[in-house]
Amino acid sequence: MSPRYDYMRPRSGMKVADASLVTVANRLEGITLLVLTLDQPGFTVLDQLTGVSAPLGSTSMDSDDIDAEFGSAAVAVDETEDERRARFERDALPFLDQLYAAAMRMTRNPADAEDLLQETFVRAYSAFHQYQDGTNLKAWLYRILTNTFINSYRKKQREPLASNTDDIEDWQMARAQSHSSTGLRSAEMEALDRLPDSDIKDALQALPEEFRMAVYLADVEGFPYKEIADIMETPIGTVMSRLHRGRRQLRDALEDYARDRGFVAGGGGDA
Amino acid sequence: MSCGSPHSTPCSDVLEAVSAYLDGETTPIDRELIAQHIAECWPCLHEVDVYREVKVLIARACGGEQAPAEVRERVVHRIRTVSIQWSVEYRQE
Repeated sequence: MSPRYDYMRPRSGMKVADASLVTVANRLEGITLLVLTLDQPGFTVLDQLTGVSAPLGSTSMDSDDIDAEFGSAAVAVDETEDERRARFERDALPFLDQLYAAAMRMTRNPADAEDLLQETFVRAYSAFHQYQDGTNLKAWLYRILTNTFINSYRKKQREPLASNTDDIEDWQMARAQSHSSTGLRSAEMEALDRLPDSDIKDALQALPEEFRMAVYLADVEGFPYKEIADIMETPIGTVMSRLHRGRRQLRDALEDYARDRGFVAGGGGDA
Repeated sequence: MSCGSPHSTPCSDVLEAVSAYLDGETTPIDRELIAQHIAECWPCLHEVDVYREVKVLIARACGGEQAPAEVRERVVHRIRTVSIQWSVEYRQE
């Protein structure tokens, strides 16, 4: 199969042949791509969302800044648009439910989850020509979901960034490490097990965002630490720290729920 | 520590590694040391059990959600719209 080259209109006034880096935008969707021009024979498209190219969220990447005209680019493809869409629908759409559930946990409400999901799929589709068969598609999609959430979507939400949460909780650490008894012991697990799913979701959603996502990726999706690190673009040590602290906060929260519901011995439970 | 017995691996080290232990992300040596420790230290065993339970609960309660049918339809529609738009742009060249 010989490569087919799809050309987009040159951005006015830009000498593409001289440019090493060109931005193009999909006018309709506001998608921004980075196009790295190579000497010959054409161009390699690097999607910002895969993290291969420029830092995310840099202001130069905003589609607002980009001429309404498309940037100039030649994209080498060896499949037609229809073929690519069919491949995308066959391979990527089966992850829609999983990504929706993750989007729900990230955004914490259905309307925003749908927006995030739609943006994620459009971005994934726009970058799908670069996706290599055999690599982990699920992890690739989660990376786009996470990046989309962190870099564009989250700005809309009024959640304080968790930048300080990696440093707090020394008192909690001390508490956990001294075995300080909660008085629950074996009854504790029984009480936790009786909690309704809604309490558990609430507890997860109350976590600082970075803890919440690490816990979700590990416990719900079962990603290994290495992949969580890739998805969240953070060192493995940070992943471990977020999981460690996130789970401790979760445990405390769940114990509180169990106590409030009277599931704990001495709490006036109905057991 | 509350079980009152001396251990070759300190409880604090074990508690620090509980998450990684439960996720199967410790080295084989650490894994063995932790397993030895919790076999003889019931407070640490309890901690491991509780965190395992937390993991199980999260997996049970927080996943498995299905996107509403209309959400799925809108996503598919959006992808096809983008696809068509691109095809048209290309053909105009």
